Amino acid sequence: MISLSEILGGVMLAYLAAAFLFLAAVLWSSHRLRSLALGLLVGGLAAHTLAFLARWIISYGQAAAVTPPADFGGKLQLVIHQTPLSNFYESLIFFSWCLACLSLIFLHRYAEGFLGVVGGLLASLILAYASLGADSRIRPLMPALKSNWLLVHVITCFVGYAAFGLAFGAAILYLTRAFRPQGQGPGLPLLDRLIYRAAVIGFVFLTLGILTGAVWAETAWGRYWSWDPKETASLITWFIYAALLHARLVQGWQGRPIAWLAVAGFGAVLFTYIGVSFLLPGLHSYLN
Amino acid sequence: MTQVSSSSSSPLGRFWKALTSLRLTLVLLLILAGVSLVGTVRPQVFDNLWFLGPLALFTVNLTACLIRGLPQALRRSRLHLTPDAALELPERVRFSWPPSHDPHLRVENALRRELGPVQKAAAGEQTVYFWERGRFRPLGPYVVHLALLVILTGALLGRFLGIEGRLRLLEGETANVFTSEGKEIPLGFQAHLDSFQVFYYPDGTPREFRSDLTFTEPGKSPETAICRVNEPVTFGNFTFYQASYGHVLRLEVREGEKSQVVEAPVGQTLKLDGGARFRVLEYQPDLVMPGDGHGKHLGPAARLAFWEEGGHPRLLAVLKDHPEFADQHPGPYRFYLKNAKFFSVLQVKRDPGVWWVYAGFLLLLPGFYLAFLRPAERWALVLGRNRQGAWEARLLGAAPRARESFQARLERLQKLLKKGGPA
Repeated sequence: MISLSEILGGVMLAYLAAAFLFLAAVLWSSHRLRSLALGLLVGGLAAHTLAFLARWIISYGQAAAVTPPADFGGKLQLVIHQTPLSNFYESLIFFSWCLACLSLIFLHRYAEGFLGVVGGLLASLILAYASLGADSRIRPLMPALKSNWLLVHVITCFVGYAAFGLAFGAAILYLTRAFRPQGQGPGLPLLDRLIYRAAVIGFVFLTLGILTGAVWAETAWGRYWSWDPKETASLITWFIYAALLHARLVQGWQGRPIAWLAVAGFGAVLFTYIGVSFLLPGLHSYLN
Repeated sequence: MTQVSSSSSSPLGRFWKALTSLRLTLVLLLILAGVSLVGTVRPQVFDNLWFLGPLALFTVNLTACLIRGLPQALRRSRLHLTPDAALELPERVRFSWPPSHDPHLRVENALRRELGPVQKAAAGEQTVYFWERGRFRPLGPYVVHLALLVILTGALLGRFLGIEGRLRLLEGETANVFTSEGKEIPLGFQAHLDSFQVFYYPDGTPREFRSDLTFTEPGKSPETAICRVNEPVTFGNFTFYQASYGHVLRLEVREGEKSQVVEAPVGQTLKLDGGARFRVLEYQPDLVMPGDGHGKHLGPAARLAFWEEGGHPRLLAVLKDHPEFADQHPGPYRFYLKNAKFFSVLQVKRDPGVWWVYAGFLLLLPGFYLAFLRPAERWALVLGRNRQGAWEARLLGAAPRARESFQARLERLQKLLKKGGPA
């Protein structure tokens, strides 16, 4: 029997291979390579989803062994509480899943192979980091995390992060192409629109993540906002993307300044997600 | 305000223009981000003018933008698409049919299939079909900004009208006040801690913290409640949150013939009658020493640090079930552990601003929906006969903020309209 971490290792390789195949498909404009890459990405995502569900089931089983739920309502409650989104490792796995899923959605809509390159590469890098740098054991849930808000808070935050990741990838492509205008690949106007689109999705979901976090903090600690480093960092991220959207929608900025803001914003995302957890103590420091 | 904004050359007009300018917004957003970055290391910054100043200016900026733009956005959202306005839309593609094929039915069906119900009007000899979506989109940003103002109002209300503090209760203790910023605040009722419990997982990490409370209002029958982490309890005007807990030990301290009993919370330094100080460093409900079989249970145990004026601290162990250990204690004092009790620390608060904050959160949702998910989109199709008697249709439309979906729809409409007939 293969373990979950082995499955996720395979998923990581699939994403990585998909990214390279997408790149090759763009370079040689090959439809066959592109279909192969798409197949790998879809297959990887399916295995990734199964691994996520399996971890959920195991996690539920462990918790139910300690505190058997009395009725259907209790079972449902336990299912929600035991979503595998409760520590740093699980959040990385889900972040990677969101990236792969979101890049598939964008690929469906824009049919631009470079989206697969960016999404596949980021998703596999995050999985690699998860397998090397985080504790993968399933731990019992600490009392502060036993809340229905856990599910919706973490999901909204990471969908937001993943969208910002795609905006970042598109921005990097924009900036490199703006310096070297000739060559293959997507046109600058398309990249510019993609940065904006992904940033809008990220902004909406980050806002929802902050709101749900605030409501949760209010029920857990009696304070919807306590300037915990994580909260502050997420607010900084929010300010940066708010600036980006205003510059774009009201002032009509396009191209390079927007791309730079998307890069800065993703820097803030990484600081919020990883930097704060390791560098600064606070309510979210259970991540490590 | 509108007269002021119209005369942008006067000093007041320029001031108003500066207040509503986007440059101010961008600068403020970046300043707030910068100060917040300092705040991740030094949270006291958030009570400081460096943060509150830009935040206040940001609020003024938001309000000014709302006052300036909302009336226009309201006017625009009230403007329905009329046949006249529809004829002004940019032309996208033309179709034609021979005189014998009346295309009205086909056009109507195609439009209905792609757009849903369309409106129809006669313009001279021609028929105009028109359709619009996202008329309320201009309101979106203003709803979002209004929501942010509502949230900030809630925060202000909480700051000035709300109160928060802590209540520390020993098991069996009753209180009618709690402490907030060093002051005692009356609760208006009595809070009694019946018991405090910690439950553990098999691996020894805590699973649940639970305070069983009884509240009694004067002249009414008592009410019981269970307070857990993530499950606050509201009674009267206040809400109670499980925040922390600890142990208080009852120690008998003997010095020769003299004896005193001290209540010592774990981690707190206390002074004895003789002038010496001590602190309970750690308490264990059951100290287990590894040994043959399952190990040896020594019962409740504590570790103390003890020091006399000017002397070095000394560490000593106290076991409830083995008082003879006290004979090994150095110095003139002997410590005996009598019993240990839990205390529970509850966060107590009343915040009339929370509902404003939540209302703002809810208001953000329709704001985002309007601003980002309902881009304005308008279509019109003008159908009539040309000079030769053939049928001719012009498809017009615009969606400045949704070019991709507009283009895709244009292609689908083209296909639907051309199907089964000469174009």
